[in-house]
Amino acid sequence: MNPTLVMTRTFLRLFSRDRQAIFFSLFFPLIFMTVFGLAGSRADDPMKVGIVDNADNALSHRFVATLSANPLFEVHEGDEAALREQVIAGDLRLALILPAGFEDNGTPSALTLLVDAAQVRELGLIMPVLEQALVDVERELRNTTSLFSLTVEDVKARSQSYLSFVVPGLLAFTLMTLSIGGSGFNIVEYRRKGILKRLFVTPIQPKHFIGGLVLSRTIICMTQLTVLVAVAVVLLRVEVAGSFASLYVVGILGTALFLSIGFCLGSLAKTQAAIMAIGNLVTFPQVFLSGIFYPIDTLPDLIQPVAQLLPLSFVATGLREIIVNGAAIGDILPTLAGLIVWAIVALGLAIRLFVWKEVAS
Amino acid sequence: MFVVEARDLFKSYPRPDRKGETFNAVDGVSLTIETGEIFGILGPNGAGKTTTLEMLEGLTDIGSGEAIVAGLDVKTEPYKVKQRIGVQLQANEYFDQLSLRELLRLFTALYGRAEAPETLLGLVNLLEKANAKPAKLSGGQKQRFSIACALVNEPQVLFLDEPTTGLDPQAKRNIWDLIRALNAKGMTIVLTTHNMEEAESLCGRIAIMDHGKIIAQGTPQELILQHAPEPPAAPLHGNLEDVFLHLTGAALRE
Repeated sequence: MNPTLVMTRTFLRLFSRDRQAIFFSLFFPLIFMTVFGLAGSRADDPMKVGIVDNADNALSHRFVATLSANPLFEVHEGDEAALREQVIAGDLRLALILPAGFEDNGTPSALTLLVDAAQVRELGLIMPVLEQALVDVERELRNTTSLFSLTVEDVKARSQSYLSFVVPGLLAFTLMTLSIGGSGFNIVEYRRKGILKRLFVTPIQPKHFIGGLVLSRTIICMTQLTVLVAVAVVLLRVEVAGSFASLYVVGILGTALFLSIGFCLGSLAKTQAAIMAIGNLVTFPQVFLSGIFYPIDTLPDLIQPVAQLLPLSFVATGLREIIVNGAAIGDILPTLAGLIVWAIVALGLAIRLFVWKEVAS
Repeated sequence: MFVVEARDLFKSYPRPDRKGETFNAVDGVSLTIETGEIFGILGPNGAGKTTTLEMLEGLTDIGSGEAIVAGLDVKTEPYKVKQRIGVQLQANEYFDQLSLRELLRLFTALYGRAEAPETLLGLVNLLEKANAKPAKLSGGQKQRFSIACALVNEPQVLFLDEPTTGLDPQAKRNIWDLIRALNAKGMTIVLTTHNMEEAESLCGRIAIMDHGKIIAQGTPQELILQHAPEPPAAPLHGNLEDVFLHLTGAALRE
């Protein structure tokens, strides 16, 4: 048998017996995905608001009823002092005080809103809803009809649930950890223990060793990709809008890129502790910045352009475009180009940094 | 017929204590080893024994000089040389999760061969450990297993780097018997050792190295006759350890 295939078989066998690696690479994302899948199916909690009804008349009752009917709110009535306490404690998001003169007497009534100033951002979302409730009550009283009506029609172009956002991110994340762990961490361990040196006593050449490692990791990563996608589609009802073929194209490119990064790190680090540190330094920021769990556009404006250029961003974006938006390979050429540029840079660096004769050290 | 011929081997490394400077770990070593002999390389730690072996084995680049092993130039055809030699390294670590049988099968396959692992395990008396992992072996068993791994390609020359260091007397003698048995079947053996008794009883010829150079070479008897210190008005006495200490000095090494 070809030495490359001998090494491929050996690495696959080693991986299949490494329970810890299997747990972290396969079961961790699986559990994560399932948890998100279950959590995502629950409706959002309504916002707790307090109302102090100082007017206590027909109009104020109607206003409270209108607000209570809105599923966005969970309305609690009480006296001002008590509700103020609850807002401060954070039990209520806000409290609305209806003044004693809250009635239809021609002059506008001044309503007071008690809110924690730190939540100003939310205020912007709440105010229109409150105003709408007021307008509705007002129209009803004045017997006027609104000029406009807005009807929502779901075109169901794509599922926008958080789960379908996070699945491609998790796939990219898994490819990264499996590949960097498989090349970088393993090489440091094999070198430190002298296993590399023992292998190079035999007529095996570097290309056989690297070839076997790359081939075995690609098989492992693609198996992983298949299992995760299958679970997402069959159990969690995530729709894959694009083709599976394009999914594998991005998957294989991503694997090649992260394997090369792993080889670079494995060459830089001489000890197991060092590779842990360097590995975390490279993977950790990417997990937060590459739009794995939250979209990149929720990041500060200054960071966004940089975040978009990270290797993991290209892989995650590529996979997401295919799964969520049904993109074909031709639609994501800029993303693929970014991926390939990174892969070439990393591979070139890996070749420069990896000193074969240092296997003896 | 020579199976190993080395001429003027040099290898320099950067000095660990002074930046920018280098030192010669191997400083002009020439030696010839005949087919069928057991050749010993002696020397204190850091003398350059292992580096010399690794250059002959194609594991370390030859700094300068020439080495012909099993009829092939190590510099130009290292992979073909590796195909014809067997090597036991000082450190014996293997993939933890593979059994002895699987490891032997792996090494056999890497030489493009297909011998049954059981034959080799039987040769080194480890047949009942075929399904064990290397971590479960005792020191002597580990050494025997690493010799079995070095034999998968039926090598012309077997290189053993300190094969008995750290073993108890029983395990040591067991390894000696194994080496003698292999040699009796015609295999050339090159070994390094710190053990003078081992060198004296096993080796046909010996080279003593210090500071990267060979400082004496010959059969154990020749070395004793030439170099054993002679106290005045006393008959010739001493053993190989006296020769070794006389030549390399009694100062403690690293």
